[in-house]
Amino acid sequence: MNEILSASGRAFELLVSGDAELWIIIGTSFSVSLRAIIIAVPLALPLALLLTLGHFPGRRALVSIFNSLMAVPAVVVGLTVYLLLSRSGPFGDLKQLFTQTAMVVGQVVLALPLLVAMIHAALQAADRRAWETALTLGASRGRAMLTLMHEVRFGLIAAVIAGFGRIIAEVGVSLMVGGNILHHTRNIPTAIALETSKGDFAQGIALGAVLLFLALLLNFFLNFFQGRGELA
Amino acid sequence: MSNSVLELLGVRMAFGQRQLLDVDRIAFRSDSCLALTGANGSGKTTLLKIAAGLMKPNDTTVSFDGKDFPWPQAAPKLRKRVVYLHQFPYMFDASVFDNVAYGLRRKGLPTPELRARVRQCLEWSGLMGLSHQNARSLSGGERQRLALARARALKPRLLLLDEPTSNMDEEGREQTVFLIRRMVADGLTVALATHERQLVAQVAQVHWHLRNKHLEELPVAPRDEHHAFERDNSRTTA
Repeated sequence: MNEILSASGRAFELLVSGDAELWIIIGTSFSVSLRAIIIAVPLALPLALLLTLGHFPGRRALVSIFNSLMAVPAVVVGLTVYLLLSRSGPFGDLKQLFTQTAMVVGQVVLALPLLVAMIHAALQAADRRAWETALTLGASRGRAMLTLMHEVRFGLIAAVIAGFGRIIAEVGVSLMVGGNILHHTRNIPTAIALETSKGDFAQGIALGAVLLFLALLLNFFLNFFQGRGELA
Repeated sequence: MSNSVLELLGVRMAFGQRQLLDVDRIAFRSDSCLALTGANGSGKTTLLKIAAGLMKPNDTTVSFDGKDFPWPQAAPKLRKRVVYLHQFPYMFDASVFDNVAYGLRRKGLPTPELRARVRQCLEWSGLMGLSHQNARSLSGGERQRLALARARALKPRLLLLDEPTSNMDEEGREQTVFLIRRMVADGLTVALATHERQLVAQVAQVHWHLRNKHLEELPVAPRDEHHAFERDNSRTTA
């Protein structure tokens, strides 16, 4: 117990003293995950809209596939991206393995099914009358889609936050395709795993506190936009 | 027919094995109010949604401005000319003002003209005092009036109302009937689906009845000529 308290004290000191190494790790985490979510959301939105509004054979099967892919472990995604980017893989010539770009690609692949499934669920729960009302009032199909998205905006924000939460806390993809290289691809989860294995709990606890704070911040943000959080 | 704003020819619609509509011709006569009656599930809403370009039929030809159009060309044109109001109109999560302005913004109206048109429609519907309120906080009757104002603002060629007075108290019903009559008097062509014989008598100049997939025209005025309509309704409400 004393060891935990002492490590927590040192973790607090590391955070407030502006420890350069610690803040580089935090910066890497945010830089990679923000880039990944910025790429993944515009890819997920049209896919989710297509699944919601499209009528084509195999649509339901596609919905099931995206729902299933949500549960794929991060290490499996990491392994797949690793094989694709490794020297003998189809994209080996790009020489992107163990780079932040590889981590971004991996996190996009990880976040995409979650985003598609959650955005699709939000759109599917929308009132069909919203779509029809927009169209009958003269909106183009594109504009009607924007209106529909505005009507379910809280569900969309929740999907983006859940997607960001998943990738900023994942360790499998970052470790396998990033390589946990200090000052380069070491992010919060891989650093926690490493420092814990070395027995240096202070940095692990400090980084864990950052993740915890981030989770709280995202939830407060979501609640703020959702309003009172109760039945209307 | 030259005085029709819209005609649908050979409307066929099936859901799976069930043939719902087999209507040879339906014409919406200009500057009048047309009532569409029929038992629950007879296809009234489906027919209105087809006329609004919101639901694709298995087969139909649409005729307006003296030209015939197959469905793919007709649907977007219908959505520009026809406004459909749901039985329970959908209110966007925005102010009363923005709900009325929605369609006008899609038309690209300049801001001063847009504001003037919205204000005029809010005054017309008696909702001017609520213009900054969220539309979802309105009562059922106020929502219906707002939906009518939102549709009227667009000056559509044809306004389709699906059960406009259902689940309304007497006051709300009277206000809605009053606004529908005013719109018809102002030269707007209106078609409404209803179960209420009283509403047909109050507002309609033409009465259609849907039975067994087909459409038949009934005379409007005398009470005993509504027997077919009443018989169907009593069967569904029994």
